Amino acid sequence: MSRFSPYDNNGGSCVAIAGADYCVIASDTRMSTGYNILTRDHSKIYKLADKCILASSGFQADMKALQKLLAARHLIYQHQHNKQMSCPAMGQLLSNTLYYKRFFPYYTFNVLGGLDNEGKGCVYTYDAVGSYERVGYSAQGSGSVLIMPFLDNQLKSPSPLLLPAQDAVTPLSQSEAIDLVKTCFASATERDIHTGDNLEIVVLNAGGVHREFMPLRRD
Amino acid sequence: MDTTLQDLNAPHSMGTTIIGVTYNGGVILGADSRTSTGMYVANRASDKITQLTDNVYVCRSGSAADSQIVSDYVRYFLHQHTIQLGQPSTVKVAANLVRLLSYGNKNMLQTGIIVGGWDKYEGGKIYGVPLGGTLVEAPFAIGGSGSSYLYGFFDQVWKEGMTKEEAEQLVVKAVSLAIARDGASGGVVRTVVINSDGVTRNFYPGDTLPLWHEELEPHNSLLDILNAQGQSPEPMNI
Amino acid sequence: MFGFSSLVVRMSSSSIVEAPPKGGFSFDLCKRNEMLSGKGVKHPNYRKTGTTIVGLIFQDGVILGADTRATSGPIVCDKNCEKIHFMAPNIYCCGAGTAADTESVTDMVSSQLQLHRYHTGRESRVITALTLLKKHLFNYQGHISAALVLGGVDCTGPHLHTIYPHGSTDTLPFATMGSGSLAAMAVFESKYKEGLNKEEGIKLVTEAICSGIFNDLGSGSNVDVCVITKGEKEYMRNHLKPNPRTYVSARAYTFPKKIEVLSTKITPLKELAQVVEAGDAMEE
Repeated sequence: MSRFSPYDNNGGSCVAIAGADYCVIASDTRMSTGYNILTRDHSKIYKLADKCILASSGFQADMKALQKLLAARHLIYQHQHNKQMSCPAMGQLLSNTLYYKRFFPYYTFNVLGGLDNEGKGCVYTYDAVGSYERVGYSAQGSGSVLIMPFLDNQLKSPSPLLLPAQDAVTPLSQSEAIDLVKTCFASATERDIHTGDNLEIVVLNAGGVHREFMPLRRD
Repeated sequence: MDTTLQDLNAPHSMGTTIIGVTYNGGVILGADSRTSTGMYVANRASDKITQLTDNVYVCRSGSAADSQIVSDYVRYFLHQHTIQLGQPSTVKVAANLVRLLSYGNKNMLQTGIIVGGWDKYEGGKIYGVPLGGTLVEAPFAIGGSGSSYLYGFFDQVWKEGMTKEEAEQLVVKAVSLAIARDGASGGVVRTVVINSDGVTRNFYPGDTLPLWHEELEPHNSLLDILNAQGQSPEPMNI
Repeated sequence: MFGFSSLVVRMSSSSIVEAPPKGGFSFDLCKRNEMLSGKGVKHPNYRKTGTTIVGLIFQDGVILGADTRATSGPIVCDKNCEKIHFMAPNIYCCGAGTAADTESVTDMVSSQLQLHRYHTGRESRVITALTLLKKHLFNYQGHISAALVLGGVDCTGPHLHTIYPHGSTDTLPFATMGSGSLAAMAVFESKYKEGLNKEEGIKLVTEAICSGIFNDLGSGSNVDVCVITKGEKEYMRNHLKPNPRTYVSARAYTFPKKIEVLSTKITPLKELAQVVEAGDAMEE
């Protein structure tokens, strides 16, 4: 008799790429458990602030709880400061929120994408208990092991240890970044059984938020 | 979820109702037709009453693989035996062979078998060979997971010297009672009648069986039930 | 009066284990491995065909079907593998479970059938293949994880069987196996009827496999179909390809820059030895 587990893994992959004046955040819309598909149409992307978008995979219930908590914290922040939270601030808040549950973690794998105070693209990548880092691009979730090497090959980001500090943003144009993301997901869907159905791509730039969808394999 | 997957990989077993009854001219064997792997019904029309020789049949319960291998071996031995003897083997010999295999390999086998048949020396005979390899001659025997619901019933209704019709009706009624209560039994009722005239196989489809306490009429679809009560045809509409 | 259940409870507690088995294989190491994995030791991942395989009997014979995905955990390791194995010219067999097991067990029985044909000079019978497969799987007590759908047409007509890893067999008019078996069986249970013609049969088999491909994550890619009729067979590899790649970039992705060579050292092979012909060649 196996003991009850409070966790499940609902699969899915997330990618974010930061550019000079944009940020691309993408994830598939499949939600699965074991060998079953629960739904083909579940968005894993959540808009936390005007310039701050969270993509998470892992356990859907924890994703939802985390999103609601961050939304509430952001509302309080707006009441206290009369402005939206910046992406770096939200990055720190997410880390604190995850570490707060260090010994009963949110089973979620997050990437936070947005624009920083200078309008440059920024991406924060996390583990389940709040370790985080600002990077130029990142992949999380079930297909991350397939996507990350490809991104490394194409976009290798500078080491944060380099002095003077180098810009973490990628050299690609916005349309090139979107094409890269589409290729990543089309390829990951070929080999990862938990990724598929549809790709949701959110692009953030000075003009605002733009959202598009692309079909993926459904098997 | 995990448990469901594990169940699918579980060995194929026959949560079963099997019955053997003697009457005044022979024997009747009865069985349901459900074979399951955990929660999943792997076969809803299986035949658990297996022929060994012209005049001897067995009802199988427990692990499907084990009971099949035992009956395959016994059938093979009995064919040789019949040729050497030059006449049909007795039920007792068949039952003894089943016992020999079940007892000798008890640490590897998970199967209970009821042997039934007719021979010219002793007439209709029923033998039970349960898990450990005991051999018991009995006027009637019940087995499988569904048998627990039938002990009291048989204590009350079984009588010495029933007619063929009485005995077969009893078997069908008993199996349908067990199907109604035991989740691991189901499908159709199969019977085999063996007497001096030979063997008759009968088959009672699941939707022709009597309905017992709180059982519902058979429907092709759940929607039929909802429509009959004038409710919404959308089952998900609460 | 006599019955089973009460005895079952009493016996099962005392039987099992005890006296050493007198015949058959030893599964001690399997027990050890189970114990080790219970204590958290990781075992290597085998290539599984988390699969949808099906078969049905139609008016002229048997139709078998399979998907073509092979997985190792959550990763697809073969997008277009063959799961319908040759047993004899008139018998084919779909395999689900550990790829190596299904492959080896079908190959082995296929050679035994070939030898048997040389010996008897007659066409193989499906029941022979069934018996050989079930004997082998029973001997290994379920440790060979091969779940099979065996179909063929012989001198006694069309036959369809399922064989489980523990060695139990069923005879059915329509059958499904593998992780997608529930999805495929849902299609069969609602649409199968006796006496389908070839086109209807292929359509139903394809639909059942597609149901597995789209609803079971262990199954995917293409549909293979094999139609066996009296004296004839038609193996339709990739009968349907319902899952093309959805996006092909117009850009050609390449390694962005050349790999830098840090140092070079050349170690020459040993000098070629020159053999000089001397004296007369040896004669026999």
